[in-house]
Amino acid sequence: MRITSLFAAFFALLLVSLAAPSFAQQPVDPKPLIDQLAKANFSQAEDLIGKMAAAGDARVVPVLQAFTDGDLYVRKTDNLVFIGKTAGNGFELVEPLTGESAGQVAKNAVTKIKVNNSLRRAIRSAMGGLTLLSPDRSVRLQAADAVMRSPSSENLELIEAALAKETDAEVKARMEEARAVSVLSSDRSVEEKRDAIQTIKDLGGRNALGILNTISGSIDPALTADVEAAVAALQSEQQLWDMAQNIWYGLSLGSVLLLAAIGLAITFGVMGIINMAHGEMVMLGAYSTFVVQQVIRDSAPALFEWSLAIALPVAFLVTGAVGFLIERGVIRFLYGRPLETLLATWGVSLILQQAIRSIFGPTNQEVGNPSWMTGSFPLGGMTITWNRMWIILFSLSIFFALLFLMKKSAYGLNMRAVTQNRRMASSMGIRTPWVDALTFALGSGIAGIAGVALSQIDNVSPNLGQSYIIDSFMVVVFGGVGNLWGTLVGALSLGVLNKFLEPSVGAVLGKILVLVLIILFIQKRPRGLFALKGRAVEA
Amino acid sequence: MITNFILRALDGKITLTVAILLVVAALVPALNLLTTPDSALHIPTYAMSLMGKYLCYALLALALDLVWGYCGILSLGHGAFFALGGYAMGMYLMRQIGSRGVYGNPELPDFMVFLNWKELPWFWYGFDWFPFAMLMVLVVPGLLAFVFGWFAFRSRVNGVYLSIITQAMTYALMLAFFRNDMGFGGNNGLTDFKDILGFPVQADGTRAVLFAMSAIMLSLCLLVASAITHSKFGKVLVGVRDAESRVRFLGFRVENIKLFTFVVSAMFAGIAGALFVPQVGIINPGEFAPANSIEVVVWTAVGGRGTLIGPIIGAILVNAGKSFFTGAFPEIWLFALGGLFIAVTLFLPKGIVGTIRQGWTSRKTLRAAADQEKGRGTALLPQAAE
Amino acid sequence: MKFSSKLGGALLAAAMSATALSGAFAADDTIKIGVLHSLSGTMAISETTLKDAMLMLVEQQNKKGGLLGKKLEAVVVDPASDWPLFAEKARQLISQDKVAAVFGCWTSSSRKSVLPVFEELNSILFYPVQYEGEESSRNIFYTGAAPNQQAIPAVDYLANEEGVERWVLAGTDYVYPQTTNKILKAYLMSKGVAESDIMVNYTPFGHSDWQTIVSDIKKFGSAGKKTAVVSTINGDANVPFYKELGNQGVKAEDIPVVAFSVGEEELAGLDTKPLVGHLAAWNYFQSVDSEVNAEFIKEWHAFTKNDKRVTNDPMEAAYIGFNAWVKAVEAAGTTDTDAVLDSIIGVSVPNLSGGTSTVMPNHHITKPVLIGEIQADGQFEIVQQTPSVVGDEWSDYLPDSKNLISDWRKPMSCGNFNVDTGKCGGKGS
Repeated sequence: MRITSLFAAFFALLLVSLAAPSFAQQPVDPKPLIDQLAKANFSQAEDLIGKMAAAGDARVVPVLQAFTDGDLYVRKTDNLVFIGKTAGNGFELVEPLTGESAGQVAKNAVTKIKVNNSLRRAIRSAMGGLTLLSPDRSVRLQAADAVMRSPSSENLELIEAALAKETDAEVKARMEEARAVSVLSSDRSVEEKRDAIQTIKDLGGRNALGILNTISGSIDPALTADVEAAVAALQSEQQLWDMAQNIWYGLSLGSVLLLAAIGLAITFGVMGIINMAHGEMVMLGAYSTFVVQQVIRDSAPALFEWSLAIALPVAFLVTGAVGFLIERGVIRFLYGRPLETLLATWGVSLILQQAIRSIFGPTNQEVGNPSWMTGSFPLGGMTITWNRMWIILFSLSIFFALLFLMKKSAYGLNMRAVTQNRRMASSMGIRTPWVDALTFALGSGIAGIAGVALSQIDNVSPNLGQSYIIDSFMVVVFGGVGNLWGTLVGALSLGVLNKFLEPSVGAVLGKILVLVLIILFIQKRPRGLFALKGRAVEA
Repeated sequence: MITNFILRALDGKITLTVAILLVVAALVPALNLLTTPDSALHIPTYAMSLMGKYLCYALLALALDLVWGYCGILSLGHGAFFALGGYAMGMYLMRQIGSRGVYGNPELPDFMVFLNWKELPWFWYGFDWFPFAMLMVLVVPGLLAFVFGWFAFRSRVNGVYLSIITQAMTYALMLAFFRNDMGFGGNNGLTDFKDILGFPVQADGTRAVLFAMSAIMLSLCLLVASAITHSKFGKVLVGVRDAESRVRFLGFRVENIKLFTFVVSAMFAGIAGALFVPQVGIINPGEFAPANSIEVVVWTAVGGRGTLIGPIIGAILVNAGKSFFTGAFPEIWLFALGGLFIAVTLFLPKGIVGTIRQGWTSRKTLRAAADQEKGRGTALLPQAAE
Repeated sequence: MKFSSKLGGALLAAAMSATALSGAFAADDTIKIGVLHSLSGTMAISETTLKDAMLMLVEQQNKKGGLLGKKLEAVVVDPASDWPLFAEKARQLISQDKVAAVFGCWTSSSRKSVLPVFEELNSILFYPVQYEGEESSRNIFYTGAAPNQQAIPAVDYLANEEGVERWVLAGTDYVYPQTTNKILKAYLMSKGVAESDIMVNYTPFGHSDWQTIVSDIKKFGSAGKKTAVVSTINGDANVPFYKELGNQGVKAEDIPVVAFSVGEEELAGLDTKPLVGHLAAWNYFQSVDSEVNAEFIKEWHAFTKNDKRVTNDPMEAAYIGFNAWVKAVEAAGTTDTDAVLDSIIGVSVPNLSGGTSTVMPNHHITKPVLIGEIQADGQFEIVQQTPSVVGDEWSDYLPDSKNLISDWRKPMSCGNFNVDTGKCGGKGS
C-alpha cells in the first residue's frame, strides 16, 4: 500500500518536473547565453549565469554542472561552447543543451572556460533553484541546501513552488528552512519574517547563527529584537555543544596518540627496549598503505574503497617482518642493556628513514581517502568527521584486541612470563628467544597498522615517524611503563587536556604546558599513572 | 688540600690529553695565522673553525659523560643546557651589534624592531656587559639543572623515566624558543653577530683565540671532571650509578650527590654552548631538538662512557665523519651514520676507549696471571666494575 | 693507559689533517658552483627537488657549451636541515671547494645562518624561495617573492573578486608568517578593515591536529561577512590542514583559503578533489601556458625520468637565478665576485611565465604575480595574472622599514639606506 502511494507520488513529481519549464513566464532560449560565455570575463559570466537561472530552463543544469567542474570548452574555430570529455589525447565535444556529440577534437583546438569561486557560488545558487523539482530526492535535498546558502528572491518563488509539490517529509523540512532564509532577505512582511526567524532558530547550530548574523545588519528595525534574542539563544546553546565538541576533539587527538603509542607500549613498555625506531615502523605502515593503493589504482580501481582493509594485514606483515629482523639482527644482543638499545635503534631509525627516502623520494606521497573516510555528519551542534570517528573506533578495537591477546591467550601468557622472569620462564620450557622475537614483531606490526590509520590524516613522508616518536614516549611514560591500560588512559587524557588548553592559550603554548605538566606529574608519581607494583619494578 | 684534589686528577692519560689539547690550542692558531695559505703546514680558517666546533661538542659530550658515565643519569636533554649557554652568549653578541643592525636601532636587536617591539624585555638587561653574560652562561643552565634535578632526584625519578622527562624538558624548551613572542628571535634565533669584546667575530685572529679558548676550556673542564671522579666523592658517585639503594642505605644523601653532579655537568654544557655560538655564528631553537641531545649520547657511547676521554674522542670522530660524509656522500651518509651506531653498540659495547682499555687490562691480567704462576707476581687487585 | 691517550692524540691529529686536506683542488677547465640544499632532515621534503633542478640546469648549460668555454660542475653538499651546518657547509663550499657561486637555502633561518659567511668570504648566494623581506645583502640575490610579490596581490584579489571582508591570518609560528601577517594586517587596516575582522592564529611546526583551528575558522566565518583564510602555514603542516578542511566541509565557495607556501609539490601528497577552488599565490604555476614552460617541463621530466614529477615556483626562481648568473658571468667575462655583482644588476632573463625577469639594484627581481585555484588534478588554474612587480625588500607597511631602501649600485652600495636621515644603516651611526 505504502509502496504504491510512494510510487504514485514519485510519478506525479516526475510529471511536474517535466512540465516545470512551462511555468516560466517567458521561455528564453538559453543557447545564446551559453555561447556568450565564450568571450565573457568572470563578472560577465556571473551575469550570464544569473540570466540562465532566471530563464528557468532545467536543460541548462548539465551545462552549469560541466561549467563548475571545469568541463566547458570553447571551440577555437567558431567560438561555440561545448561540454568536453577527455577522450584519448583530445576531447569528445558534446552539444551543451541537446547532449549530441559534436565530434572529437585535439586538445589545442579548444580553450577551457575558466571558473573561479564566485562563479561556482553563482552556479550553485542557480542550480539550487533549477533542481528543486528534480525527481531525485537527494538532488532536491542538495538543491534546498544550495538555496539556503545563497538566498535570493528568484529562489524564493522557486522554493515556494517546490514546497507546494513536495511530499517527502525530510526534504520538505529542509525546504522550509531554505524558504525561511530566502524570506529574510526578501521584502516579505514582518510577520512572515518573524516566523522565518523562528524556523531558523529551531534549525540550530552554527549555520543558523551565521544566517542570523548575516541578516542582522539589514533587517527591519521591528525585528532586531527578535533576531538578537534568537542569536543569544543559539549562542548559549552553541556553547554547550562547543564543550562537547572540544571533548570529542580531545578524544580524537587522544586516539591518534594511542595509535602512535600502542606499539611502543609493547616494545618499550613490556619489553623494556627504548625503541627509537618505533616511529619508523609507523612510517613503514603508512608507506605500505601507499604501495597497496598504488597497486590497486593500477590494477583494480574498483577495490579502492577496500584499500585500507587490504593495507592493514599488509602493513602488519611488512612492519612485523622488519621488526622481527631488527630483533634477531640487533636487539637480541642487547637484552639487559636497555640504554644501549636506544643507540642501536636510533641507528636503525636513521637507516630506515634514508632507505625510504632513497626508494620513494623525500616528498609526500598521496594516500587517498576512501569515501567512507571523508566528509562529516552533524550531531546536534557538533560536526563529527568520519575519518576521526573511524580512527577512534579503530584505535580502541586495536587496544582491546591487544589486551585480549596479552591476557587471555597462551602466547600472551608466555610473553608475560618471559618479561617478568626470563630465567624462570626458560626453565619452564618456554622458548624465550622466540617469544622475544615475536613480541617485538607484534609491537612493530601494531605500529605498522597504526601507520595505516595515520596515513589518513597526516603526511606520508620519510619524516612521518619523527613527528610521533616523542609524543609516543610521553604517553607510555605518563601512563606507566608496562601497563596497557595506562597507555589508554594516558593517551586519552593527554589528548583531552591538550584540546582544552588549546583554545585559551593557543596550540604552541598548549603543547608546552602539557609537557611541563607531564614533567611535574612524573615528580608526583615517578612511575607513571598506573605504576607496576612489586619486585619487578627494581629489576 | 686543593692541590691534592687537583693532583689526584692528573693520572697519566688525563695529563696526556690535557697536554695534547694545550698543544693543539697553541699550534693550530699559530699554523693558521703565521703560515701562508700555500704552505704545506697551513691550516685554513675553515678547518680551524670546524675543529673549534668539534671541541665544543667534545666538551658537551664530556659533560654528559659526567652524569651518565659516572652517575648513571642518562640525560636526553643535555642539548638544552648547551643551547641555553649558547643563547646567553648569543644575547651578549646581539647587544654588541648596537646600532649596526639593519634598522640602526641602538637599543633593540633587529628581530625585535621588525616585530614592532618598543623596548628591550627585562630578561635582556645586563647582557651587554660581558662578565654578566658569562655569569649567565653558567647560571642559567645551572639553575635549570638545579630546579629540574631538585624535583626529580628528590622524587626518586630514575632510569628511563628520568631520561624521558629530560627529553620532555628540552622539547618543551624548543617549542618555547620557537615562539616569536618569547623574545629570543623565534625560529631564526640570534645571528649576524659583529664583534666580541670589541674584536670582530669573523676575523681570523678572533677565530684563533676562540679556538684556543675552546681547547683550553675543554682541558680545564676535563681536569675538573677528572678531579671530581678521582676524589672520594667520585667513588660515591660510581656507587650511586651501580647500586643506588645500597649507597642510600649507607647514609649518603643520594639526591644531593646527583644534584651536584647534574648541575656541574649542565654548567659544562653551558660553557660548550657559549663557545660554540661565536664560532658558528648562529644560535637557534634547533639546538634544543631532542634529536640533538640523543646524538650527544651517541658520541659518548661511541667514545666510551665513564672514561672522560672517550666522549671527547667520540664527539670529534663522529662529527668529523659527519662533516666528511655530508660533503662526500650527501645522498647516503645517513646509512653510514646509522650503521656506525649499530656497529658500535653491538661490537664495541664499551665504546672505543672502553674497549681498548679492556683489552689493555685483560692483557695485563693475563700477564699478571702468568707472573703469578711463575711465583713472582703480586696479588691482583679486583677490577673496578664498569 | 698510554695506549688510549696515544690513540686520542692520533685521532685528533687525523681529524685535523683530514679536514685540512679535504679541500679538493679545482681543475682549471671547470667552473664550480655550490648547491646547498638539505637532502635529509625535515626540509629534505622541499629542498631535494631544488637540488635536482640545479643539477638539470647545470647539465643543460654544459650541453650548450658550458660557461666561458669551461664546463660547469655542481658541488652538492647536505646541510641536513641543521642551521649551523648550513654555515659550515657554505664556508666549505666557498673556501675549500672554491665555488664561483652558491645556489641554495630554503628557510629564512638557513639564509640568516649563511649570510655572514657569504659577506665575510665575499661570494654570491642565489636564494630561490619566497620570504618575508626585511633584508638586502650585497652578496645575496633573492629570486623568490618578497611579500609584495605574493601576499598583497593575493589579498587584493580576494577583496576585489570575492568580496572578502573578514580575514583569518593563519600561519606557522616563525618569522615568515609573523612578518607577512604583520604586513598584511597593516595593509588591510589601511584599506579600512576593522581589527575585529582580522583573526591571527599561529601553530607550531609540523602541526597535525587541525580540528580546533578549522572549527575556529568556521566559527569566525559565521559572523555574517564573507570570510577568507590567508595561510602562511609551512609546507609539512598543510596536508593535514587541508584534509581537515575538506572533511569538515569548508568549501572554497564559502571560505576560500589562499596559501603562500602550497605549490604543486605539496599538493602532490594530497587528494585535491575536496580542495577545488582554494587558492595559492605564486609567481609561477606548472599550468602556465607558455612555450618556454612547456619546454622546461619536458626537460624536467626527461631529466628526472619521471613524467609525474611536478614543477613549482621555487624551481622557477632557481631557474631565473641561475640564468641571470650565467648571463652576468658572460657579460663580466669572469666569475670573480665583484665583477659579477657589478654586471648582474639590470640583467634580464626569460622567466617561465612567458615574460622576462630583471635583476634589480636591490638584489630582488621583477616578476608577475599569479593567483591560481586548486584543480582536481593537483594543478592550479590561473585566475589572475598581474604585470611584473618589483620585489620590495623593505615593506612600506611596517613602521620601521618604510623609510628604508636598498641600492647596490655604486656609489650608494647600501642595503638599508634610510631616506629620511640620508644614512646607510648597518655601519653604526
